[in-house]
Amino acid sequence: MSAWIYEQDLTAQKYRILVSVRHDRVIRQIAADLDIGLQELRKYVIEHCDMILLENLPARYEAALTAAGDADPVAKAIGRDLYTTAIPLVPTGIMETIYQTTAAKVAAGTPFDAAVADARAMMKEVIHA
Amino acid sequence: MSILQTIKDKVRSRSIHVSYVDLGSCNGCDIEVLACLAPRYDIEQYGIYVHNNPREADVLIVIGAYTPGWQEKLTPLWEKIPDPKAAIAVGNCPISGCCFNRRGAYIDPPVSKHIPVAAEVPGCPPRPTEILAAILSVRDAVFANWEGRQR
Amino acid sequence: MKHTVDVNIPLGPVHPCFKEPARVKCETKGERIIAAEVELGYMKKGIERIMKGRPWQEVMFLAERVCGICSVIHNMVFIEAIEQVSGIAVPPRAAYLRVVANELDRMQSHLLANFSYCYTIEHETLGMYLLDLREKVMDVIERLTGARVTCAYIIPGGVRFDIGAQDEAFLRESLARIEDDLTRYTGMFESGPMIALRSRGIGILTKEAAMQAHAVGPTARASGISVDRRTEHPTYRQLGFEPVVRTECDNYARIMVRFGEVFQSIRLIRACLDNLPEGVIRGGGTCTAGETRYSGEAPRGELTYIIRTDDYGRVIDIQIQTPSIMNIEACCHVMIIGVDSVADVTSTFVSADPCIACTER
Repeated sequence: MSAWIYEQDLTAQKYRILVSVRHDRVIRQIAADLDIGLQELRKYVIEHCDMILLENLPARYEAALTAAGDADPVAKAIGRDLYTTAIPLVPTGIMETIYQTTAAKVAAGTPFDAAVADARAMMKEVIHA
Repeated sequence: MSILQTIKDKVRSRSIHVSYVDLGSCNGCDIEVLACLAPRYDIEQYGIYVHNNPREADVLIVIGAYTPGWQEKLTPLWEKIPDPKAAIAVGNCPISGCCFNRRGAYIDPPVSKHIPVAAEVPGCPPRPTEILAAILSVRDAVFANWEGRQR
Repeated sequence: MKHTVDVNIPLGPVHPCFKEPARVKCETKGERIIAAEVELGYMKKGIERIMKGRPWQEVMFLAERVCGICSVIHNMVFIEAIEQVSGIAVPPRAAYLRVVANELDRMQSHLLANFSYCYTIEHETLGMYLLDLREKVMDVIERLTGARVTCAYIIPGGVRFDIGAQDEAFLRESLARIEDDLTRYTGMFESGPMIALRSRGIGILTKEAAMQAHAVGPTARASGISVDRRTEHPTYRQLGFEPVVRTECDNYARIMVRFGEVFQSIRLIRACLDNLPEGVIRGGGTCTAGETRYSGEAPRGELTYIIRTDDYGRVIDIQIQTPSIMNIEACCHVMIIGVDSVADVTSTFVSADPCIACTER
């Protein structure tokens, strides 16, 4: 088996994209929002997103925040569209399950904040795994 | 000089294949190299063809200030070009880094550290006519009697 | 026995069709593309890092060098952001001259993009016609601003040079000639059967997909989204600006939108020259501290500068959001997915007019 030709390790270059001012701000915000370590989140995005997605991360983040209307408070609070279509951190299927569970909990009478916190914990698990 | 050499020189001077590579410029020099293709400058009257294929190139036009992405790619690219070959640095960036050569930038100029550069065309960006003149002067300096000078 | 394997076809960074280094790794199933990964990093210079802490006089020139093809709009957006921060008013004559310079720049950028497309689909004749036409535009730009590329024409409180009577006559004459030629070339593009074969119905970006991928500029307008930052610019409003929109959503539509915008630019420049107010071209003012977010319409789409300056007009913090980052993403993750053959990938990629220098800065 011969060595890979031209396939270099892109981690350093992707990291360079992530540390520029605006990207850094957005990554820190997401890390605080999901309550995961900054370096861990960086590692996760570097492994799961290609370079153009990393470049337009802030633009997509802002657009998704404006697009998320007040119509569905649960979807907005757990960032259903934000963390699937805009920033693909969680697979769509798993996110849908999390959303259904949380919505059911809220409907059943669980306090809103507690339900959202549970959803956050589930998303965190997905990213940890 | 042998007859064979004379014929080779004659043929080579009328058939120059150019490839260009952008090592991280602002695009300004890029479009001036492209503008050389325009019928106004008519580079094909000198037998210059821009194919952007290193395997069949004689002249490599280097634009830009050498970004880290090229570390593993520029030298293999240069080695792919068959002899005789020459590299021309177009614009200030490959020569000095121009306005990007400041603290905090990711670039690593000059390009002559990484591959041998035969000619330099300063300017930010240089005019198409200057680029054309550089290609023509490299043709005369590098390709004439190449086999003879190798011995 | 028929044996089918899935392959990963990398295109670039040095590729006959790409003018700039980018690498698109296409995952294919037979000839059909099912996924694509973009690999950048060949142009990352770190301009925003260099700009930090420098006076506007230096940042102005660096801003132009974010992208050489659309240098005037980068200059214009940065300067107008500085003006907005410091409350500097622009004399009306200068505001009109800015539009003239900007539209000339847009014309040459669109002509270059369409040349690249024609060259990629191997219609060299039309490509060369367009490139020759672009040289005429470059002549006018040089006459007006003093340089072909990166001309630094726009400065806080005005523009650098006035337009003389002779220059104006030359500009009008050139515009008439460009309009004549371009009408013919556009007709060639519209009616060419070979061009239609390689352009119509290829690289579809539907309106919904364009919305979701946040495509901007001609790429979005070719998908039927009427979005153009120029509608919010005060000078363009005076001139009665309407965006060019098409609904075909394919490569053909994107090229035709650019042709349409070149004609529109010619009309805008004529309107500017007809209504050019008398007066000074440079007002006064002082650059002061402040923070703002300012957007303009670059040839490729919406361009945003977010800047913060201090009392001496130094730039403390600057972030640039260029149009190509959205368009390349839309192109590589939506448009080229499902095209019928690998050969269409390059033409589809080029039809979105990607500018890697902007993307990576």
